[in-house]
Amino acid sequence: MLDILQAVSDGVLFGATYALIGIGFTLVFGVMHKLNLSYAAASVGSAYAGLLVLEVMAGAPAWLVFLCAFAAGGALGYAVYLTCFHFIPLRSPLATLMATVGMLLLIDEVIVHATNGMPQAYPAIFDDVMLRAGAFTLRGDLLLVFGVAVLCMIALMVLLYRTRLGLATRAVSQQSVAAQLCGIRVGQVNAMTFVITGLLGGIAGALIGASVGALSPLLTTPLTVKGLIVTVIGGLGSIPGAIVAGLLVGGFENVLQHFRGVTERDLYVMLLLFAFLVFRPDGLFATKGGRD
Amino acid sequence: MLDLKGVARYFGGVRAVDGLELTVGDGEIVALIGPNGSGKSTTVNLIAGVFPLSAGAIYFRGEDIGGLPTHRRLQAGIARTFQNIRLFGQLTVWQNLWVAQNALEDRARRGFFARWLGGRARAREEIFQLLEFSALAHKQDELAANLAFGEQRRLELARALASKPKLLLLDEPAAGMNSEEIGQLRERILSLRQRGVTILLIEHVMELVMGVADRIAVLNFGQKIAEGAPAEIQADAAVRRAYLGGEA
Repeated sequence: MLDILQAVSDGVLFGATYALIGIGFTLVFGVMHKLNLSYAAASVGSAYAGLLVLEVMAGAPAWLVFLCAFAAGGALGYAVYLTCFHFIPLRSPLATLMATVGMLLLIDEVIVHATNGMPQAYPAIFDDVMLRAGAFTLRGDLLLVFGVAVLCMIALMVLLYRTRLGLATRAVSQQSVAAQLCGIRVGQVNAMTFVITGLLGGIAGALIGASVGALSPLLTTPLTVKGLIVTVIGGLGSIPGAIVAGLLVGGFENVLQHFRGVTERDLYVMLLLFAFLVFRPDGLFATKGGRD
Repeated sequence: MLDLKGVARYFGGVRAVDGLELTVGDGEIVALIGPNGSGKSTTVNLIAGVFPLSAGAIYFRGEDIGGLPTHRRLQAGIARTFQNIRLFGQLTVWQNLWVAQNALEDRARRGFFARWLGGRARAREEIFQLLEFSALAHKQDELAANLAFGEQRRLELARALASKPKLLLLDEPAAGMNSEEIGQLRERILSLRQRGVTILLIEHVMELVMGVADRIAVLNFGQKIAEGAPAEIQADAAVRRAYLGGEA
């Protein structure tokens, strides 16, 4: 019994990173009604970019690496916006999708080239701290991952619901034509959405690197898939949905990893996705109307 | 105030608007009428900048605005309402107006933080005046999607006014209204004119058009077939043919 509890708690804590990735997918979808498939790869890419700090300054503290990944995420988010959305006609539903697939492959290739395909060790914070309650333990680094992810989500909510930018973003997502005719520059809001999701992705990538202990180019595809699964389970366009679904998928996969091993784990995550598609295709929190 | 010179818009082979000439003077209320599909809404969309012009030019206060993006036209002083209501359904009444009002001010603000991260604390007296004017003050915290139809129409008008337009384009504002509501709408339109707002009104409801318009232009198949005072239009043979068909 205790081992299941342990597996669930570890999984849920790690699931916070899935929630961040899911938020990235869902936010762009909510605002632009477009999928940005390169998002998870860009997040991993930004986490790699954080490692550049160690190249410049050997022995730099882990938080500096995180900060650099965060900043690189924002920059990469804007770059993805420019290359895959800004100059590409948004009317054509497939054009931007294919562009983001191209970007996903490009980022993947760049990572493989830069690292010769070798996994890179990633610094962690609090990895030597363990909170114990009898046989039950909480890993300090996972707690940090969870805490930072929750802080990011709170910051995002404040931004969306308490600022003008958030108001503009919500207006664009509900009625982009009317928003434009209210004088909102939709292009600017879209670009800002990419920067914000990029920042979140950079943090998510760094947190994943920190809790796994290493980064590898092999992370991008599974993370893309998990991010999409989280988005679908949560309900496309719903941020609370992505958060709940992220934690759910994290806990679920870790329990199955405990019982069935890491090789079979993702199989069950896919089954969970199918179950949702059949029984609750709109996800946990289907977005309410307001679209034309 | 507004000058359309040979304005045209083609959708493939369809000439939705074809060589339209129209002038709206300062403080005037001009109505644009015509059968369904005659190009009225397309004209509004062209003036507001939703689609580009296929030919012709649009002058607003002497300046050619034909190539400007929508937000620049709004900034210049052109606002509109929509035939099918397009409110921000999941924002409150208050926030709907706040969006429209803020989007304009943002241009004046330089810094990123001042521009994007300011909160609703800077709310304005103006929004409350607009709410009063539209008889929506008691609904200010209601989500726009939960409003009754007539209230949504009033909110659309208020939202267009939030940007303090010089020219207001009203695209079928009376659609679906009962005659009491139409009466109130007429009062509102006339009181806007008192404040110096110029209005281009697209409307089917003759009760409203005949009551407020100084001048009426009639469109049919994208072309203007008549223009004049309400009484002249009512007597015009070409107009009757367009509406009734045949040689009536």
